[in-house]
Amino acid sequence: MLELSIGIILGACALGAGCAMIAGIGPGIGEGNAVAKACEAIGRQPESKSAVTSTMIMGCAIAETTGIYALVVAMLLIFVAPNLLVNVLMKAIQ
Amino acid sequence: MTIDKTVAKETRYIAAWVLAFSVLMQVVFLLIGEWDYTVLLGNLLGAATAVGNFLLMGLTVQKAVAEEQKDAARRIRMSQSYRLMMQGAVLIAAALIPWFSLWAAAVPLLFPRFAIMVRPWFDKHKGGEDA
Repeated sequence: MLELSIGIILGACALGAGCAMIAGIGPGIGEGNAVAKACEAIGRQPESKSAVTSTMIMGCAIAETTGIYALVVAMLLIFVAPNLLVNVLMKAIQ
Repeated sequence: MTIDKTVAKETRYIAAWVLAFSVLMQVVFLLIGEWDYTVLLGNLLGAATAVGNFLLMGLTVQKAVAEEQKDAARRIRMSQSYRLMMQGAVLIAAALIPWFSLWAAAVPLLFPRFAIMVRPWFDKHKGGEDA
C-alpha cells in the first residue's frame, strides 16, 4: 500500500511537471509572431529599427517569462515536491 | 558577429538589475538564516544564465529583424526552444550537483522580468523633464 502511495505521488508529480511544460510552447509562438510583425514595421520604416528592436527585445523577455515560470514549476515538481510529499506521507503513517 | 548597440545597451541594463536583485536575494537568505555557499554559487549560476539567455535572445532578435517575416518567426521559435532547454539543463544541474541551491539558481531566471517591470517607474523619474 505504501509503495502504491509513493508511486502515485511520483507519477502525479511527473504528470504535473509535464502539464506545466505545455506553457513552454506559447511564448515561442507569440515571440515568433511579434518578431514577424516587427520585421514588417522595420520594412515600412527602416529609420525606426533601433526603437523597434529595443521594444521587441523587452517584449520577448516578458513573453518568455511565462515559459520560465513553467520550467521552474516543473523542476520543483520533479526535484522538490516528491521528497516533500513522501515525507508528509511517512509522518502521517507514523 | 557584432553585437548591435541596442542589444548591448539593453543587456547591460538587465545585467545591472540582475546584479542588484541578486544582492537583495543574498540579503534575504542571510536574514532568514538559510545562507551558505550553495546559495551564492546557485545565485551566480542562475544570474549568469538569466543574462546569457537575455543576450542570446537579443542576438536572435537582431538577426531576425533583418530577415523575411516567415524566416524571422521560425528563427525566434527555434531559439526560444533551445534557450528554454538550456535553462532546463542549468536547473537540472543545480538540482543534481550539491554545490548549488536549486532555489537560488531558479529565482534569478525571473529577474529580467522584474527589471523590465521596474523600468517604467525609473524612466518616469529619470525622464520627467522630457514628458
